[in-house]
Amino acid sequence: MAAVLSVETGDNMRSMVSRTATAMPEEAALIARARGGDTRAFEALYRTHVDRVYGLCLRMTGNVSEAEDCAQEAFIQAWNKLAKFRGDSAFGTWMHRIAVNAVLGRIRKSKREQDRIRVVAETASSPVSSGDHGELRDLSEAIDRLPEGARHVFVLNAVYGYSHEESSNMLGIAVGTSKAQLHRARRLLAQQLQEQGFEA
Amino acid sequence: MNEERDDKLTSAAAQLAAEIEPRRDLWPDIELAISETAPRRSRWTPMFAQAAAIVLLVGASSGLTYLAVKDDRPVVMPQPAPEYAFERAAFGSSYTLGSDYRDTRADVLARFEKEAGRLSPEERQDVEQSLEVIRSAINEINAALQQDPDNTLLQELLMKTYHEELNVMRKVGGVTQSVMSRRDI
Repeated sequence: MAAVLSVETGDNMRSMVSRTATAMPEEAALIARARGGDTRAFEALYRTHVDRVYGLCLRMTGNVSEAEDCAQEAFIQAWNKLAKFRGDSAFGTWMHRIAVNAVLGRIRKSKREQDRIRVVAETASSPVSSGDHGELRDLSEAIDRLPEGARHVFVLNAVYGYSHEESSNMLGIAVGTSKAQLHRARRLLAQQLQEQGFEA
Repeated sequence: MNEERDDKLTSAAAQLAAEIEPRRDLWPDIELAISETAPRRSRWTPMFAQAAAIVLLVGASSGLTYLAVKDDRPVVMPQPAPEYAFERAAFGSSYTLGSDYRDTRADVLARFEKEAGRLSPEERQDVEQSLEVIRSAINEINAALQQDPDNTLLQELLMKTYHEELNVMRKVGGVTQSVMSRRDI
């Protein structure tokens, strides 16, 4: 773990910012066409953003099937809300916001959290398809085991680089709650990793 | 100590994959869902409406073309296209249909023919009627373009009509890729 932990922070956010900057003009044209009902243009937007949206859903739910459903729902909602996208934020960020809502909505709909946990336990193999290897995979699995609130904040804040203001806004919680959940997440992760023999 | 631990965790988390490819393509289900968000109408009614609009446009364009050329050019009656020959269906000597388009159309047609068998007889008849109208329109537009190869209205109309045919087949065949651009002809 120590080797991994020495790497610089914010790689994911930097990569997103860089890609957004280069893709903007073409993306704006696709958005305009999709607004006019062009499903081919929307498909192109989907192809550009699906991995990032699905990645977020998978990290937040820790379950492949649920992540697929959430990502799918997010794109359907995006299509329906496209007229409301004003370009105040990058399209990718807007998609992330919708994806977070899809995840939260899905959780709210489940009758009992216990059912979800059981389903996750039966089908969870998400880290296998997450592309993480070695020690990062251990961290990924530790994140999956975090309590829901802490996991959501940690994923948005630490994995995707959103600020507390942004992540609390997406999750519909207070900034203070976001900070507290992140602190809790780090503590629990350190504890888990230490139990597995990693130096955190 | 805690700060150092937190920094390390944050650094490691930033290295986790942010982009993860789903194990299956989610687009077909999304496409199906967003097509269902349109006002609920009979699936094939819009195609008839589109085909009718095309026929009207073709009629109007042909009429205008006829009026424009009747005094100095002989009128050539549209001839039935042999086997819907796309290679022949060109406007102007400098334009031909692109090979990409022809390949894509062949692919879409193959899928269409495979999937069309699953339609009910009524649906199949509706689809075939739509395609017949659209293909007649393509032939008429091509005939009109032989008279007036530089008519941009007709060129655009031809493009749209080709696209309509692909759309109808694509909806039946479940093909999702974008298939044609202005450069293809």
